[in-house]
Amino acid sequence: MMENSPIENDAVRRFSVFHRFLHIFVMISFTFLAVTGFSLSFSDQGWAGLVVSMLGGAESAAGFHRFCAALFYLVVVSHLIWLGYFKVVLKGRWTGPHTMIPNSTDWENILQNFRYIFGKGKPPLFNRFSYLEKIDYWAVLLGMQSMGVTGLLMWHPEAFSAVLPGYAINIANEFHFHEAILAVGYIGVVHMTSTHLTPEAFPLEKSIFNGRIARRRLKAEHPGEWKDRYAPTAPSEGTTDPADAAS
Amino acid sequence: MKHSVFPLNRWTTPAIIRRALPAMGLLVLLQLASIGAARGDTDWDKPFPAFESNWFVDMSRFSEGAHTGLDCGECHVDMVEGTQKHPDPEAPGYLKTDVKERFDYGRCKRCHLKAHERSLEGAHAEAMKQQQQRKADQTEAAQKDDAPYPAPTCGHCHSAHYDRSQRSRVEVGRAMIETCGACHPVEKATYLENYHGRAAVDLGRAEAAYCTDCHGAHACVSLKKEAETALSACRRCHPDAGKNFADIVIHYSTQRLADDDHPKRPAILRIYLAGLVSLAFVSILLIGFYSHSFLLMLRKIHDKLRRPE
Repeated sequence: MMENSPIENDAVRRFSVFHRFLHIFVMISFTFLAVTGFSLSFSDQGWAGLVVSMLGGAESAAGFHRFCAALFYLVVVSHLIWLGYFKVVLKGRWTGPHTMIPNSTDWENILQNFRYIFGKGKPPLFNRFSYLEKIDYWAVLLGMQSMGVTGLLMWHPEAFSAVLPGYAINIANEFHFHEAILAVGYIGVVHMTSTHLTPEAFPLEKSIFNGRIARRRLKAEHPGEWKDRYAPTAPSEGTTDPADAAS
Repeated sequence: MKHSVFPLNRWTTPAIIRRALPAMGLLVLLQLASIGAARGDTDWDKPFPAFESNWFVDMSRFSEGAHTGLDCGECHVDMVEGTQKHPDPEAPGYLKTDVKERFDYGRCKRCHLKAHERSLEGAHAEAMKQQQQRKADQTEAAQKDDAPYPAPTCGHCHSAHYDRSQRSRVEVGRAMIETCGACHPVEKATYLENYHGRAAVDLGRAEAAYCTDCHGAHACVSLKKEAETALSACRRCHPDAGKNFADIVIHYSTQRLADDDHPKRPAILRIYLAGLVSLAFVSILLIGFYSHSFLLMLRKIHDKLRRPE
């Protein structure tokens, strides 16, 4: 999360190799989970039959769905392990303004963003993660727990109906389906527009793939982090930052 | 202090936003209302479809059917009921009686003895008995037949002229949905919504259960009455199933369900309420996030065009 180091004059490292790989695994498994899952939910549609036959039938599509789910959950687990490594070995902090932990600044940023939207103020000054990025993160981390539990219930109904009433499996089905709609609806529109379609990044936000962000953009989009970590402490240091000249 | 509160009051909010807010609220309500509406929107109560019936036998199809080697006379022989010829063309209402109710399907058992014996044990044979009883009973109350469909004979489910043999399990299963669904439309619709129906019928997974895998083919029974029967049906595919397993709702509907049906009615209510809550949660979140994204994007594009770098 925070092992940033200046890597070039005009860019800094925003995401480590580990996190970039995790994101790619999430992207792939999420996409296949959505495709295989919805081709069961909408199995009466023509495209669903096509997808399932391309995957070798309903049984292997189900197996593929579960494989991707396991891969996705492996990402969650390895992230949690990394959090321990980050704390113990890298001596990092779990809390603070530049972590994923929500704090009062986020609430102020939300209000400020609405003032900005309605033309009543300036854009909010985000820290390392904006509130939308924190929502992205927590939606995956918490959403995977409930998707995992409801998915497991439907994967092993025999075992779970020994301790739960039978209709719990049906409820798990409803939750799983509705949350899938939420996840795909959120990622497909909110996450995509707020990263790629936003004028600062359009047409493609590359920092999650190459790990770098231009100093100019970091200063504009995450001024809190810029100020705390990268801004020249005193003018007497000599080098004028290119971002200052640009703005 | 001007901006200390959320800026959605009538003095600081542009008129367009003020007008859009009730519309957003309306969207949420519409979403919720459509859930209820969608559940009532079915074509389950269509009338009993006439089984394909014709004065003539299509010999090209007959020759591809399972009975192609048989002579007509092996099934269509002169029969006698008491002293009277049966069927009697001179009898009143002869032409108006469905051929499937006149034909003596007892003849099928000459070849299909096992199937015939089994069919006498099931719910369809029971329905036939009740129908005959009502016909014998001359009282007016009994004459008022409240059964929605005639009790099925062999011919209601099987076409003796055209049904083919040696078909795959998926092929038979898909045809079965139509056959059983003709009289059990609610069960057909709910089965197709369920995992079993989706996998077996839509996606052609032969291992998944079709109607008769749970309910039996010739000795078909309702699984509602005895928990043991239902559980043993589940265990044919789910050998580790425990007691509660049979309470998983497959036919998710309260139509044609007894008022005191326990535990299915309360289970369906709980599933419905839980589903409603999660759908409301999802709808509200999505509407909220979409509005946020849309408005923010408008503002950013506006700023970008107004103040190019």
